[in-house]
Amino acid sequence: MPAGASVGIGGLSLNVAPMAFCRELVRAGARDLELIAVVSGMSTDWLIAGGCVRRLIMGLTSFEGFGLAPNFRRAAEAGWIEVDEYSEHTLICALQAAAAGVPFMPTRAGLGTDMIALHPERTREMVDEHSGQRFVACAALQPDIAVIHVHEADILGNARMLPKMIWFDTELVKAAKRVIVTAERIVDTASFRAAPELTAFPAFAVDHVIHAPRGAWPTACWPEYPYDGEFYTAYQRAARDQQTFAELFAEHVGPLRLGAPETAA
Amino acid sequence: MSGGDWTIDELVVAALARGFDDEIRAFNGAVSFVPVTALMLARATHAPGLTWVASSIAVDPYPPAIPESTLSDALWEGATMLQSSAFDFWPYAQNGRLNAFCFRGAQIDTFGNVNNTVIGPYAAPKIRLPGGGGMADLGCLCERVFIWSTTHNPRTFVERLDFRSGIGWGDGPGHREELGLAGGPELCVTNLAVLDFHPQSHRMRLRSVHPGVTVAQVQEATGFDLLVEGEIPETMAPSAEEIDLIRRLDPTAARKREFAAG
Repeated sequence: MPAGASVGIGGLSLNVAPMAFCRELVRAGARDLELIAVVSGMSTDWLIAGGCVRRLIMGLTSFEGFGLAPNFRRAAEAGWIEVDEYSEHTLICALQAAAAGVPFMPTRAGLGTDMIALHPERTREMVDEHSGQRFVACAALQPDIAVIHVHEADILGNARMLPKMIWFDTELVKAAKRVIVTAERIVDTASFRAAPELTAFPAFAVDHVIHAPRGAWPTACWPEYPYDGEFYTAYQRAARDQQTFAELFAEHVGPLRLGAPETAA
Repeated sequence: MSGGDWTIDELVVAALARGFDDEIRAFNGAVSFVPVTALMLARATHAPGLTWVASSIAVDPYPPAIPESTLSDALWEGATMLQSSAFDFWPYAQNGRLNAFCFRGAQIDTFGNVNNTVIGPYAAPKIRLPGGGGMADLGCLCERVFIWSTTHNPRTFVERLDFRSGIGWGDGPGHREELGLAGGPELCVTNLAVLDFHPQSHRMRLRSVHPGVTVAQVQEATGFDLLVEGEIPETMAPSAEEIDLIRRLDPTAARKREFAAG
């Protein structure tokens, strides 16, 4: 994972994020990433705690009923990371524009909010000269790499969720230059041929497949396992004290590197 | 602030539920324990024709309980359809087939605009909030917007937002029309009162105060001037049937999380 790469991480809130991959990014000492996460929580918090993130492009970062994402909040308030907030739909539109190969995708979403002027080079309010209708133009946003987690993949890259719940992962896969799939199980291609209607992503759209059993933990991989509420609670409790948190993080993820970005030597 | 045998979370849920009718075709986002309970309550009582898409994913589900995430699969049991991707869901929020959304905010202004992004300047925030998520989208796209708050105080109800994450009535009369947006916020239910928006000025207007709360207390807890017209009635307390239903629909009292978190 080259330093400075833009990486789209899949999942939806407490559902099916590629957590095993995020853990390995932390352990590998990934740096300076531009992280794209539409609606996330733990994945983003791990990568920030691991010192991997320079800039976060996001719609929402939260643990929901388990509270605010503690390292996201601390790093954003301290200015250790740059937060580039979109609305959920304008971010989806930006990814769709990249997939379609057009300069921008129009939408009515976000009109009249401060979200649009936040990044004038990325989102702009425009008026259609024919209809007079106002819209937001969401400039194409192409991740270098997208990483998603699925139930099953074959060695060629065919991938599926059972059932087929793919949310924003669809947009990430279609927009990104390279796609990495982590999978609970590696299965035969014959099983995809036997039920092609279930395939979510075809081999030609996937560049790398990684076998990662329980690879979404502590997020849920419905219907196979639920989110680990005890872990979310323990994580939040530990986050009140830096030393306690560093121990928990080392045990379950990797070295804690939360702080100001290192200046280049 | 509880009286009789109801608690404040049950009163807020019941008051919000009464704002929903059979024409509501709603969906919910993250951390929406109060509206999810209210939608189920309305569907079980006076609005059986209401549509609710749980997590913006599961159409018309009947979950046995509400989990710690309102985007969680535990909310989808009994659904008639799971909308599996953004492509399945978003066009219905854009074409009006789905028409209603509930949001809250760390800050709310008199026109029902909300902030869930930052307290303080954006680039150097005093408090970094979770982000607007779909608020900025759905404030625009939905004709029927409902606001709830469990922290009715001058820090939440402010004259001026630090950041506008989601649009309500925008800058006031004419603004939504100018942007080409239909509808707007209808109702705001808080832990102190029920408010709506004046049909001409679109400013927040007091409709009822909860039992034990005075008009003066609500105004004092609000950082902008509230419209107060005539006698202000007391918010109707939840009935025995409503209380029973709320406790059965949300047996683990997930709704109380919003009150505890403040």
